[in-house]
Amino acid sequence: MEKGKTIAWFCTYTPLEILDAAGLVPTRHFGDPHILEYADTQLHPAICPYVRACLAREMREAGPHHAFFVNSCDGMRRLYDAWKNNFPGDYVYLMDLPRNPGAWGERLLAGEFRHLVRNLEETWGAIITPEGLRAAGRAREERRLSYLETADGMCGESRLRLAMEVHAAPPGGLDLSGVGGRDGPSGIPILLTGNLLNPAGVVSSLDRAGARVVWIDLCNGDRSFSSSTLAEGEGLDQLLVSLARAYLGRHPCARMSDSGRRHDLLVETTRAAGARGVVYASLKFCDSYLYDYPRVQERLKREGIPLLRLESDYADGHVGQLLTRVEAFLEMIRP
Amino acid sequence: MGLLEDVRDRFIDKLSPATLHSRLFWKTVERLARSPLNRPQWKADRVSLSYFLRITRDAYSRRGPVVWCNLLVPSELIIGLGCIPFYPEMAAAVVASAGLAPRFIDRSAEAGFSPDACSFHRCMLGCAMDGFLPEPDLLLAVNYPCDSAPLSFAHVAELYDAPQVIIDIPLPGREAGRALLAGQLEDAARRLAGLSGYTAGEMEKGLAGALDLSNRALHYLREVEELRKRSDCTLDGKDAMGNISVLAGCMGSEEGVEFYRLLARELAERGCAGGDSLRLMWMHLKPWYSQKIFNILDRYNVRVVCEEYTHSCWEPMDPREPFLSLAGKIGGHFLVGPVERRASHLASLAGDYRVDGAIHYNHWGCRQSCGGALQVKQALQAMGVPTLLLDGDCVDEREYQEGQISTRLEAFLESLH
Repeated sequence: MEKGKTIAWFCTYTPLEILDAAGLVPTRHFGDPHILEYADTQLHPAICPYVRACLAREMREAGPHHAFFVNSCDGMRRLYDAWKNNFPGDYVYLMDLPRNPGAWGERLLAGEFRHLVRNLEETWGAIITPEGLRAAGRAREERRLSYLETADGMCGESRLRLAMEVHAAPPGGLDLSGVGGRDGPSGIPILLTGNLLNPAGVVSSLDRAGARVVWIDLCNGDRSFSSSTLAEGEGLDQLLVSLARAYLGRHPCARMSDSGRRHDLLVETTRAAGARGVVYASLKFCDSYLYDYPRVQERLKREGIPLLRLESDYADGHVGQLLTRVEAFLEMIRP
Repeated sequence: MGLLEDVRDRFIDKLSPATLHSRLFWKTVERLARSPLNRPQWKADRVSLSYFLRITRDAYSRRGPVVWCNLLVPSELIIGLGCIPFYPEMAAAVVASAGLAPRFIDRSAEAGFSPDACSFHRCMLGCAMDGFLPEPDLLLAVNYPCDSAPLSFAHVAELYDAPQVIIDIPLPGREAGRALLAGQLEDAARRLAGLSGYTAGEMEKGLAGALDLSNRALHYLREVEELRKRSDCTLDGKDAMGNISVLAGCMGSEEGVEFYRLLARELAERGCAGGDSLRLMWMHLKPWYSQKIFNILDRYNVRVVCEEYTHSCWEPMDPREPFLSLAGKIGGHFLVGPVERRASHLASLAGDYRVDGAIHYNHWGCRQSCGGALQVKQALQAMGVPTLLLDGDCVDEREYQEGQISTRLEAFLESLH
């Protein structure tokens, strides 16, 4: 891996194909949840702990600190601000992300992709061709399918760790052969939804309590693998427009305006995966999910799907206390 | 028991949604507002009060299509298209001022809203769930200054089965960003015209008229800003902070022009109070339920001479190009994009108003303001302006840590002296 071209990314709306096609080495960072306080000189403590964990870890690492941010939420934008302030000599880029998936959103995002391509060419001397972008897209699609195949039958913590490994691996640097294997049919099947979780925290407590987490609708879990972003088109511009449509059409994060579609997908996936209930677990201070939860609660109630709400501070030192609640929930939904 | 508590217990606590929808209630309130019993500090305040009472009454009695807006939605767009703007974030501040916020915040908690979310929005949601707010025909939010409005409005849209429109303001400096924003505003305008029944000609005329009024208000607002830069200007920031509602909700109305015209005239007439008080800049908002912080400032002979959200930050608009003009106004707002824009705006204000110090009130749950507060502090301190970050809550009085706030504030003020 070329250290100088490694670029950190954080939000799953990052157009990895474009970064790959530019010859950069994008790798997802998850930060260090145990040293959040290191970020206190730059970020208020009531900011998303994932954001603080990422900054805290980077402040203790040697450079370069090249990073790619998506303007997906207040937390991410503030991470960009703090990163840029802290590492002024590094490549720190902020890409906009519309909330609307419709025609204006597509125009805005396609424009952002064009802006990014120009910026990468100017800054890094990259030449992004339609062929290069198509090849990068195919490689990302292969990786996505490979994840889904490998993860089939895996549950809970091991499944989440695999997803994170795939996110963190540089392009071409991932061999999933020999990984995987079924976790076994035991446990009560549940679907886990929320934003982003520490695999050693809430998720492991679900495993320990006897749940079988069959689908992980998290931003560091299955969600980004559930939709293809393979673009079609002849020239570069057509490809970028197609890519914008694909990103806006994927399984949405709660920050998007089409939250109704997200809730429909949640119900469909819960039923398709044979889950007996849903655990909604999210990091503190994430507004997108704080406001989403009451609507999910109402929707699942109407659908007759049992729901448990858990909260995480990312380090999850309190998982032992969660066990009792999780066990009670599992007892309630046990067939 | 004090008079305020007495009034609250006897009347305000007994408010019901039915009261707010009754003609008699609004007639009484408007009469009280006009009566000699109401003696505002500034004549202009009578104009803004009368305007907000009228449009709020109209919203409750559904005298026109009601459009809920967040702070950066330009009121010119709503007023110019014959709709009634309703700013629920400001309504939450009014509810907090009346001491009623805890009741509605608790209501939103019962519905599953986390105490880690912004209390302006939790209060608004609680009010909406209990039927205390005027029913929206449409909810219009822009994606700044914060995530909360597009997200909380989605819940209200579902509650009232009303459509929600979100406008994506592109990042500053993007090619075609202004045209993209103008296009979205034009689409939203068509929806508003559909609600009010405006024809294309009426749309054009209405918007041109609203932009013209907004330009005239801007002219007087800039006069007010110049007058406020004088030493010991008599308008104290603790009172001026409420003018955020005028800046957000009155631009495009006759009353917006009249408010700033009267304020400028009165500031010029009253002149300067003299004295040697220290000058302070206030960032973000204040606790709406209490004046205690400002009493401490008074005790230390410190005055708030400028506030973050009550100043103009746009150029006069071209009434013949309403959408591009409005796109320029909101797209260029200092809260749009990276925090360096906000920090630079505040540094510039601090310089223009020759402040001796600055306070950033860290409203709990506000990721956009608290999130960037440390960078703002760095920028101000780099230019020699001591800055205090004060944690608190603007709406929920139960989260006001009086002892801690007083101790930190007093230590800061002593250091300024």
